[in-house]
Amino acid sequence: MAENPDRNAPKPALQLKSQKFREARQGDWRLLNAQLEKAERDGLKSFSIDELLNLPVLYRSAMSSLSMAQSISLDRNLITYLQTLCARAYVNIYGPQTRLKEVLAGFFVRAWPRSFRSLGLELILAFVLFFGGAVLGWLLCAQDPTWYGFFMPGEYRSVDSSVAELKETLGGNTEDQALSPFAVFLMGHNTQVAIMAFAFGIMFGLPSVALLILNGIPLGAMLWLFHSKGLGLEFAAWLSIHGTTELFAIIIAGACGLHIGRRLIFPGDQPRRDSLMDAGRLTGTVMIGVAAMLTVAGCLEGFGRQLITESWIRFAIGGAMLTLWLSYFFFVGRERKHG
Amino acid sequence: MAKPAKRDLMSDAPYGEYGRTATMIATPEGVILPFINASFGERLGALMIDFLIMAAIPIVVLIVWVILPLEHFSDDHKAASSILQVVSLAAWFFARSGYFMFFEMGPKAATPGKRALKLRVVAHDGGRLTPAAVFTRNALREVELYIPLGVILQTSAGMGNSWVSLAALLWALALVLLPLFNKQHARLGDFLAGTRVIHIPKASLSYDLADLDGDAHLGLTFTPDQLAYGEMELQVLEQVLRERKPAVMRAVADKIKARINWQAPKNSADMPSDEAFLRAYYGALRAWLEGKMLMGKRRKDKHDAALT
Repeated sequence: MAENPDRNAPKPALQLKSQKFREARQGDWRLLNAQLEKAERDGLKSFSIDELLNLPVLYRSAMSSLSMAQSISLDRNLITYLQTLCARAYVNIYGPQTRLKEVLAGFFVRAWPRSFRSLGLELILAFVLFFGGAVLGWLLCAQDPTWYGFFMPGEYRSVDSSVAELKETLGGNTEDQALSPFAVFLMGHNTQVAIMAFAFGIMFGLPSVALLILNGIPLGAMLWLFHSKGLGLEFAAWLSIHGTTELFAIIIAGACGLHIGRRLIFPGDQPRRDSLMDAGRLTGTVMIGVAAMLTVAGCLEGFGRQLITESWIRFAIGGAMLTLWLSYFFFVGRERKHG
Repeated sequence: MAKPAKRDLMSDAPYGEYGRTATMIATPEGVILPFINASFGERLGALMIDFLIMAAIPIVVLIVWVILPLEHFSDDHKAASSILQVVSLAAWFFARSGYFMFFEMGPKAATPGKRALKLRVVAHDGGRLTPAAVFTRNALREVELYIPLGVILQTSAGMGNSWVSLAALLWALALVLLPLFNKQHARLGDFLAGTRVIHIPKASLSYDLADLDGDAHLGLTFTPDQLAYGEMELQVLEQVLRERKPAVMRAVADKIKARINWQAPKNSADMPSDEAFLRAYYGALRAWLEGKMLMGKRRKDKHDAALT
């Protein structure tokens, strides 16, 4: 095999085709490798315009080298190297999008409201479940006040509290700081509840149903308590300033959980794995928005509720927020109808 | 993901690492790239490192709290101490919910633990890794791990029902072990988000082992009958030659010589060293197989029919 017909040639060119191929291309590979190391170390910002323009060219040439090498070369080191190089280049070029402005615009103008709208019926179901829980809490307490202690163990606003005490809990905390640690804690807690309601969807959505009802009951119970002491309106105002945002967010999270459960039980024409993946993508998008809503709610709760004590202003802000959210969800990001 | 058809030996041993499976991902250019799936051990290791870092956050906060003379501070500077409390609460919240999401949404698409083990998250369909996918895969950690663990801890602290705790234990165990029962070692959150965790090794371009000129000077030639091996054996031979362990090279050389009926030179001074022999044989075998490959004829291993 390895016979050399011309031993006296000054520079013998006895080479395999794969070796010639390698010799011709390896300069590009090494350059791409160096560029990738630079990108991994310093980020793409350190690239000059020429280097940036050259990067996709090098990437495509490496990709084509790989296809070529796989059909002509049996040098495993070479193919391994090219596979790794292409994989690294691929994750660098198709990695997470880094331009923050585009990501934000794409998310808030299109992805989020559209995903929200495609939840549809699940939103209504989550709404019914949550407020069904609230009605249940109210009715049970109205029938027998001892239920209140059962639902809200350890709550300082109990059936025995006087009207004055209750009223005090609704007032602004003028002496305290605007952004109290308690508000941050509540925000964290609510985010946790929302994530749970969402993630429980994977258990066929049943725990999400339970979680929605269980979070509705205390609301009904407290409404009943304040109503029975003649403070119903004040309480509703106190709650509405942030509650319209916060409860809306929790209901959306519950709807996401229900959506996952439904797609898991009834995958339709798709394989169950694909159906789950679709559902995960859709609800994941909605849930990032929910986290943003909960942040807004936390700010309203931390600042607004402490500083604003007039019931009607509280109502106005709560109502305005609700209108804002609803019109945002129903009108932003609609695809234009042609014709 | 359909099981990759046996395209060639490279896909059975992605990146030259035997015993690992690969996820085939079609890039937008239409090239099918194999990505090595992160093994269960690697994923567990990365998780442990991340948990250690996460555990360090509250500990650091606590140490700062103890070291600084803060007993009087909170009375003197009400606003400042409240800000401190807010910061520490936010740190705790970040540690639980935001840590994984923050790092995986970044340009490296990996947490520090994953980065240490050369892992990273990719989208299974070959597209970009979206923030929504990262959120979903990490939100599912709640169900997979945190909530069952919480239930178990509550029971061991004397509250809660032991049956519920047992169920939680089984649930968590089943989900933690799920990556062992699918080829791509994906956990539940990966399935739901359409992501996979892959391992990207560092590979360097080594020298080419085939040196036909040098071999020709040695005067070692082989007949096509003597080149009685396939691609698999060629690659094993390549590995032996790159590792250069004398004992292994001796054993392999003896085995090949016996199989191909090699006639040793009469003069013992002409006897090539094991390495020289193996390299010559490697070069000849590769030239033979590659030549046939160009004609579309392949021999996967020695059990395949010989090429003519």
